[in-house]
Amino acid sequence: MVEPILRVRNLVKHFPGSQPGETIHAVNDVSFDLLPGETVGLVGESGSGKSTIGRCVLRLYRPTDGSIQFGERDITTISERQMRPLRKDIQIVFQDPYSALNPRMKVGNLIGELVKLHSDLGAAERRETVAALAARVHLNADLLTRFPNELSGGQLQRVCIARALATGPKVIVLDEPTSSLDLSVRAGILELLGELQRDTGVSMLFISHDLETVELVSHRILVLYLGSVVEDGPSKAVFAKPSHPYSQALLSADLPPDPDVVLDRKILQGEVPGPVHLPPGCPFEPRCPLARPDCRQAKPSPAAIGDKHHAACVRVADGTNDISNAEPLGDGNTHKKLQDQLIGRTS
Amino acid sequence: MTEVASTPAPERGFTWSGRALGITRRSPTFAIGLIIVGIFAFVAIFADVISPFGPIETFPHQVLLPPSAAFWFGSDGNGMDMFSRVMHGARFGFGIAVPSAIIMLVIGVPLGLVAGYKGGMVDEIVLRSMDVLRSFPSIVLALAVVAATGQSLVNVVLVIGFLDAPIFTRLVRSEVLALRSSGFVDSAVASGNPTWRILFVHLLPNAIRGSTAMIAVRMAWAVRISATLAFIGVGIQAPTPEWGAMIRQGAEFIISGEWWVALFPGVALVGIVLGFNLLGDGLQDLLDPRRKATGK
Amino acid sequence: MSLLEVSNLHTHFISHDLNNNLRVAKGLNGVTFDVDRGEVVGIVGETGAGKSLTAMSIMGLLQSPARIVEGSVRFDGSELVGLSTDELNRIRGTELTMIVQSPLTSLDPLSRVGKQLVRAQREHRNISQAEAWANGVQTMTTVGIPEPERRMRAWPHELSGGMAQRVLIALALINGPRLIIADEPTTGLDVTVQAQILDLLRDLVRDREMGAMIITHDLGVVAHYCTRICVMFAGSIIETGPVRQVFNDPRHPYTQALISSTPKRIAEKGYGQIGGPPPNLYALPAGCHYRDRCSRAADICHQSPPVQDVGGSQQARCHFATDTKTAAATVHHG
Repeated sequence: MVEPILRVRNLVKHFPGSQPGETIHAVNDVSFDLLPGETVGLVGESGSGKSTIGRCVLRLYRPTDGSIQFGERDITTISERQMRPLRKDIQIVFQDPYSALNPRMKVGNLIGELVKLHSDLGAAERRETVAALAARVHLNADLLTRFPNELSGGQLQRVCIARALATGPKVIVLDEPTSSLDLSVRAGILELLGELQRDTGVSMLFISHDLETVELVSHRILVLYLGSVVEDGPSKAVFAKPSHPYSQALLSADLPPDPDVVLDRKILQGEVPGPVHLPPGCPFEPRCPLARPDCRQAKPSPAAIGDKHHAACVRVADGTNDISNAEPLGDGNTHKKLQDQLIGRTS
Repeated sequence: MTEVASTPAPERGFTWSGRALGITRRSPTFAIGLIIVGIFAFVAIFADVISPFGPIETFPHQVLLPPSAAFWFGSDGNGMDMFSRVMHGARFGFGIAVPSAIIMLVIGVPLGLVAGYKGGMVDEIVLRSMDVLRSFPSIVLALAVVAATGQSLVNVVLVIGFLDAPIFTRLVRSEVLALRSSGFVDSAVASGNPTWRILFVHLLPNAIRGSTAMIAVRMAWAVRISATLAFIGVGIQAPTPEWGAMIRQGAEFIISGEWWVALFPGVALVGIVLGFNLLGDGLQDLLDPRRKATGK
Repeated sequence: MSLLEVSNLHTHFISHDLNNNLRVAKGLNGVTFDVDRGEVVGIVGETGAGKSLTAMSIMGLLQSPARIVEGSVRFDGSELVGLSTDELNRIRGTELTMIVQSPLTSLDPLSRVGKQLVRAQREHRNISQAEAWANGVQTMTTVGIPEPERRMRAWPHELSGGMAQRVLIALALINGPRLIIADEPTTGLDVTVQAQILDLLRDLVRDREMGAMIITHDLGVVAHYCTRICVMFAGSIIETGPVRQVFNDPRHPYTQALISSTPKRIAEKGYGQIGGPPPNLYALPAGCHYRDRCSRAADICHQSPPVQDVGGSQQARCHFATDTKTAAATVHHG
């Protein structure tokens, strides 16, 4: 049994709200493991808490409760000073490369900075390392003397990946790494990530709202809603047989770029509610077309569906969790029904 | 956020005249401001060489003469050449403006960086202190300090620098806050940067960009304040060739018809203040992101 | 005569850099397409291809240094290029309207929603406050906003993303337009909300017999909500045709690369031809603008490729459009 490189247990993260007395419940009791060499995808919409989880794992935030174990070390409450030397082992690639990088530093120095911070190499050796890293991410060496605003998004994201790799990390968190890139460039980045994982065995936490991308790159996925895990399992299993009503709705809303695919959309009513006032019991209950009275009583615990595949829904037990059997929803043409029944976000 | 459209071609065709024209086209205000300030700077540096007479060289028999071939700006009540005095006055203009600006930045910028970065209680304390400082009317406080500590140039400079520091604290702080919310700071922390590096290598160069225009404007203000103080009779005294003091002297003579004693230092003062203000405005034009030519 | 006829539109950004050299970025290079009543045309392309620029040029919203230097835009037969602001304002906001990407920054933060809806009407016609208000409520209902009377009094910052987008659609609809341009209408919205908004748009276009232009980078949106697709690259339309046809049989190498770079195709066929660095609009290559990235580039590509008819109203701007697909995949990194 391989030891997980990252073990998150009952993670909770709350933020103070804009009004006094309000709390933003961003992450509510999330647990998962990340094994060496695997990619776990975190999928969800706004308010799901996926980005917050990524930042907690990196200790850019301090968890409100729960624990994060990185290798042998419990990093939940350590200070920034204690965390700093560990940062060479756990890195992050952000969504927008332009705002993540210092616009006044040349690209070569930006990559070199990571090497400088975490090693004792001299200037010449650093330069060599940077050149090697640039080659590794298929970045043209000429670009190393340029500034970030002179590179395209795809090129700059490669710079960010080179920075993340520079210290030989065990885990890389990727927060929507391709969302701000053009379609034709995304594939190149994803291919690069796959290559790097094969070569170095680095584990990845891939955070994204783009289902198809997550399915392509992840071994396992977690589906998040309002800060809780509603479904988790091997990515093929979850995509083939989504078991939580929310996962089913989410996956069905995806638009495949193929006009011949017949859509079988289960369109949810309303929008994701704000994370300030969480519903009692199951977080999805107010919008769930299969909601029952007992859904309100307590947050459902994960029920097993298959091998390492769980969904946190009370209906899994009696097999009534198929959303297509729910009444108000049908195919995608619900415009008229929306007029009558929409539940909008209350202001 | 969407990608930048195309990679801009590397700069070509650089010539000094081309660059001058390009900048003038982009911001005529900057060009004019720069020329004015440049002229005053030249005068300040070469005053000894340019002026026909010494600044406090007296000609006791040639008191209050109107502008003529010998005395271009006329002579004042002590028989000193106005032209030479006005030229030397430029040194005081810069001698006050530049050190005050340095003090403003040295005090204001680090406070802004720390307040913006740390947030919380530290931020509150810094902000409230800055509010207190800003609530003092500068002239009154300057008067009080100078009166208490003695009438010297150094004190004037210190007071002005100190009182204007909060402006830069605020500017730098809001830039830092903007950088924090864009993920810039997270990225630096995640890379493993120690705090000092985050503040000085990453935040400082980027946060100070928005302040450059303000520096020029505050320099104009510093010159005005010191001239005002001298005019009231505090800070710098005759026969020092400082324009404010000279205007004070000249005020007595306006009614009796010797207009040149007050006018020329007055025009010089207005000129340098205008120059700094235009320079500041122009810098804003140049550095404003809206000037970027390529759209999507 | 189509509802909208864009012919040979050229839009350039003309400016001087800091060295006083004249810099011209050729944003649009001869864009030509039509939109008819009842049609939904999808415009796709990467950043910098000119999608939004096309919309802005049509609406007359270009700001210096961008300018239309050549070409024509005819709306219902009348020429829009060269009209004065007043003349344009008679058409914009009434017959020809636009929805933009980020609704929360497009709504006036200082006016309540209802007031903006009323204002949008009274700017263009003589109508009483009461009647305009009633129309506002009616339109809010049409776009699926619940409790419309209450929502009319809401401030923009109180609205969620999806709700704000609906309000923008309401603003675009309220004067009964004949053509609606939607620039990335669902980018940034949650997937589940996207579905609602797109369905809404589709139904409105159908029920009111409007024409629509959807600008997007999401091929899924085009595949399921558009009748025709125009693929843009470096300021020109390099392929156009009925959606199904173009997806199943793309004829331009760029379109082929685009379609093969979606995750599903990658899962099936592996990583193949991948995108390259974006074209430099200041110095476009002579002839075909795509030739620096194209795996099929040959000597003939130094000449500007003609628009070739491929059959069934599909056209592609490529010398090899009528050849059947071959081209071994080459990898460009960008």
